[in-house]
Amino acid sequence: MSQNSPSRWAMIGRETGRALTAVVIALIVALVVILLTSADPGAAFQTLLTAPLSSNRTMGLWIDDVAKLTLTGLAFSLVFQARQFSMGVQGQVYMGGLFAALIAMSPIGATPMAIPVAMLAAMCAGAVYGFIPGYAKARFGASEIVSSLMLNYIAILIVNYLIRAHLAPQGTGQLATAKFPDTAIYPAILPGTRFDLGILVALVATFVVWFLLYRTNWGLKLRLVGHNPKFAEYSGIRSSFIMVSAMTVAGAFGGLLGSVFVQGRAFGNLAQNFDGNLAFEGILIAIVARSRPLAVPFVALAYGYLRQGAQLMGIRTDVPTEMISVVQAIIILLVASSFSLPGKKFFANLLGRKTTPAAAPEAAK
Amino acid sequence: MIELLMTVFSATFFVTVIRTTTPLLFATLGGLISDLSGALNVALEGMMLISALTAVIVSVYAPWYVAVLSGICAGAMLGAIMAFFHLRMKADIILVGFAVNILATGGTVFALSQATGGDKGTSINLQSKAVPAVNLSFLDAIPLIGPTLRSLLSGHSILSWLALFMVFAVWYFLYRTPYGLWLRGVGEYPAAPEAAGINVTKVRAWSLVASGAFAGIGGAQLAMFNYIGFTRDMTAGRGFIALGAVLLGARHPVGAMLAALLFGIFEALAVVMPNLFNWIPGEMIQTIPFVVTVLALILFSYRAQRARQMRTLTKI
Repeated sequence: MSQNSPSRWAMIGRETGRALTAVVIALIVALVVILLTSADPGAAFQTLLTAPLSSNRTMGLWIDDVAKLTLTGLAFSLVFQARQFSMGVQGQVYMGGLFAALIAMSPIGATPMAIPVAMLAAMCAGAVYGFIPGYAKARFGASEIVSSLMLNYIAILIVNYLIRAHLAPQGTGQLATAKFPDTAIYPAILPGTRFDLGILVALVATFVVWFLLYRTNWGLKLRLVGHNPKFAEYSGIRSSFIMVSAMTVAGAFGGLLGSVFVQGRAFGNLAQNFDGNLAFEGILIAIVARSRPLAVPFVALAYGYLRQGAQLMGIRTDVPTEMISVVQAIIILLVASSFSLPGKKFFANLLGRKTTPAAAPEAAK
Repeated sequence: MIELLMTVFSATFFVTVIRTTTPLLFATLGGLISDLSGALNVALEGMMLISALTAVIVSVYAPWYVAVLSGICAGAMLGAIMAFFHLRMKADIILVGFAVNILATGGTVFALSQATGGDKGTSINLQSKAVPAVNLSFLDAIPLIGPTLRSLLSGHSILSWLALFMVFAVWYFLYRTPYGLWLRGVGEYPAAPEAAGINVTKVRAWSLVASGAFAGIGGAQLAMFNYIGFTRDMTAGRGFIALGAVLLGARHPVGAMLAALLFGIFEALAVVMPNLFNWIPGEMIQTIPFVVTVLALILFSYRAQRARQMRTLTKI
């Protein structure tokens, strides 16, 4: 499986085509919804499609979202590759954010060590939170879907409570902590925008996940467990260990996302319900990227653009931002299903001879 | 502590428990049917949410039973959509389920703001109706136990009685009709019913539709009895708790009812506790149903695992 084999490029092309078709179909539906509900559909649709590029500030917002979407996409990709449907990224984000905030507000927060220590603390907190459903599944056979979803709610409630009762400045009635010291907030790469350290963190994380999955023994075992758990078990891989460790590592990335959230320039403090449901959108990223870590940032780039467009559409026009959930659902449904490109038969005939032999090593993987 | 016990053993608490259990029980029955047919329906949450909003909006213009029916239809339609993508388009059922959930969280807020003219939080300015409560005041006439019976049995939603009946109906359907046998067979070992000439895909599709319909009644009860009107994210994880209840109830209708009742009791506790213990923060009380679900799930799975091990041991 060399990196540049034609089958790989063919697959990338095929997957990109499928994703693009899904996006186009979803956008057509979005257009219909906008036509039905908006007083000025043209402006709304134009805002959705072009607004993120309208200024440096909006581009910063976009890139900020891309960083976060990449991280949540990576966390979901890791567990999906092991075929575990752990949905706990949201909870991990809250726990990671909480611990990052605790470090940032402690004396360490005022030293240059603030950022690395807080990131580490967030990753540990997220890892612990990812470990729980994994262990519950491996040891007791408890469904990881249900337990991880319950843990999400618990984490959000705990963090909201701590903010309200203990961490927010006393007597102000605010539902957020005070701003962290400057040393604990990610430095901006482009001054005046939200283009900050977060995007670098996301890119490094992408590389790390790729390396873990495709260049280590553990990653090979993980993918084997995901492909065929019985085969993996027979060949002597302890699938329960792989399962738990995959969820734990994914949890660490979820926790890291928590740190990127609270320490990024967008917030710089810990607020109630800070994730704005972004953590869950990692499902979409992971599905469209087919759980391939290297594809995740590209998907995040495209999807983040759409997401930011929807946010701006909600602010600037009469169409609410939440309209985008229709687009999200359609993209997930279409990409997850085995729909084929229109005219696929024609292409298959055209490329028939080329693809058939190349498909063999792909299938043997 | 005494106050808590007094509250828990009062008739009003019992009525609260029934009220909190009913939506959960419907969702659990829905989850049970699809689970038995071999498809884990993670979209119960989203189905309930969309049905709740549909029921509320329809109830502004139509009588309550039309609203409940429209809620059921909304759930069933989502079930049909899931069936189409899962069975025809071969998408993973869990991903399809989460697509429905994502559609529900955003889509309901979008639809709500369209229906109310910009309010993204609640449907407070819509005149929505409620499901009527069943008044059994004639029970008072029974000597001695009459008043107690009335305080326990009167004042529940019609849908609560329907839920009780549905537990029986689902049990009868699953274990006493050929269709129920098909459904269980399809979930257990699809090759066998396939060989017997049963259309496996069709059975699965119908069970997803039924699952959606049940979640739909649950949503309608939630927005038309437990609360009057729709609020953003009002299901608050009930669909996922129901998913836990399916597993906890040993995949049997009566077990499902008991599991839903257990979670209903803890949810009711979370409702009454803030009045009794104002020193416990509200957020901590709200975590109770979720913590109980995780713990119950782990305990039950552990016991089931032990039972399986014992069985394999005795075979050797």
